[in-house]
Amino acid sequence: MSISLIVIIVVAVFMILMYNSLISKKNQVANIFASVDTVLKKRYNLIPNLVASVQEYMKHEKSILEDITKLRSEANKPNVSDEQKIELDKKVTSALRSIMIAVENYPNLKANENVMQLQRSLNEIEEQISAARRAYNQAVTDFNNAIEMFPTNFMASMMHYMPKKVFEISTSERKNVNVKDLFEK
Amino acid sequence: MKKLSELTRFYYENLHPVLEDLDKKREEVKFRVMLFGGFILLIDLMSFSFFQNNLDILLFTNIVVGAFLYKFLTKDYTKEFKDRVIKPLISAIDENLKYAKNAHVRGAKFINSGIFTQMPDKIEGNDYISGAIDDINIELSDIHAQKEHRNSKGRTSWSTIFQGLFIVSQFNKNFQGKTVILPDCAQNAFGGLIGNWLQSHNINRNELIKMDNPEFEKEFVVYGSDQIEARYILNHTLMERLLEFKKKTKHKLYVSFVFEQIFIAIDYGKDLFEPAVFRTLLDYKVAMEYVQTLHLAIGVVKELKLNEKLWSKV
Repeated sequence: MSISLIVIIVVAVFMILMYNSLISKKNQVANIFASVDTVLKKRYNLIPNLVASVQEYMKHEKSILEDITKLRSEANKPNVSDEQKIELDKKVTSALRSIMIAVENYPNLKANENVMQLQRSLNEIEEQISAARRAYNQAVTDFNNAIEMFPTNFMASMMHYMPKKVFEISTSERKNVNVKDLFEK
Repeated sequence: MKKLSELTRFYYENLHPVLEDLDKKREEVKFRVMLFGGFILLIDLMSFSFFQNNLDILLFTNIVVGAFLYKFLTKDYTKEFKDRVIKPLISAIDENLKYAKNAHVRGAKFINSGIFTQMPDKIEGNDYISGAIDDINIELSDIHAQKEHRNSKGRTSWSTIFQGLFIVSQFNKNFQGKTVILPDCAQNAFGGLIGNWLQSHNINRNELIKMDNPEFEKEFVVYGSDQIEARYILNHTLMERLLEFKKKTKHKLYVSFVFEQIFIAIDYGKDLFEPAVFRTLLDYKVAMEYVQTLHLAIGVVKELKLNEKLWSKV
């Protein structure tokens, strides 16, 4: 009698611990995604200003500017899922990169105080986004590991937890931005 | 800042007359130290039968008297060595640097760095170097932080929390929280899984932060108040540079980021920049200990590129 009671208690404690650890991992992912979202928004807010400052000069790159404006309005729509946000971020990052490269072809634009200031803010936000993405990826990895590894995988399948998607970190992001290169092109 | 090779040349060429002169004094000091050492040994032998049952008292007295005598006998030589060798060496690295042989980095800074969770009861130090390198303020010194223990008999003893070089420098990013990087002992001793579990359950520290650089993770463990901020500070480049710096120091390396400053503690386990007594100052190994250590410590600004202006601090 007493032995079976002990076994039941041990199993129950074990189940509670597993349950709580899964919940805390799920919340950690949500928590960090909220921070990712904040910095992404910060970057989206800079886009109209950037487009306004460069569109006068960039006649040939009109399509990129239109694309990025479109991406921004998509991101600002309500009910955008986390997966969609991750996809949008990828597109915005590459569009912004193309704009920044294009800026280099216009000496007037490069010397423009406003553009320089924007470039600085964007680079700073890029660093923050990169940090937030890395933190999110780690939280997702911990979460995915927990729902795929024994014994938490049983509990996770009962709770209908599904693996989450991580941000792809491009190789160029792994390298540090070389400040000198940016200016001396 | 001068290169290591230039500094070595400075030590052997410019300081050569000083070194030769000091080496004569060193011989005299060495003779006196050995004489007194022999004298103590003689007294030990004569009083051995008397202390037979209390050998620990004899040993304790020996250490106290020995340390006091050694300090007394080498005092003038040490002072001269620091004024005539260490001080010019520091000026040779960068003439804007100031040196105070008896001062040290303030104890409050050591405590506030958050690197060591044990509260020290005594913080001593010497060889304080301060100044700006490429407009980045830096200060460093020898630090010996100790904790007092009392046993049931009321006898006090001291244990060392940290002994080595302590460096404080401005950091080039804005941040609010605290990030601490420690040598990874748990994972090395217990392996990945158990080590990781132990690390994430360290009650003295903030959250465990797993970094996405396997080599860095193997060498260090990171705790921080903010998962994102820690990664903002520790981008891939800084992790690589810290690994490089760790390889060069060849000692345990502790780093923390608090109050927009970087704190670095290198655990040498001894008082640095003290003159050699039993080996000649012209010995290459002895020379390199002074030259290399100084170059490495002051060179941290360049090594970690703390002078690189970033967007947030333009």
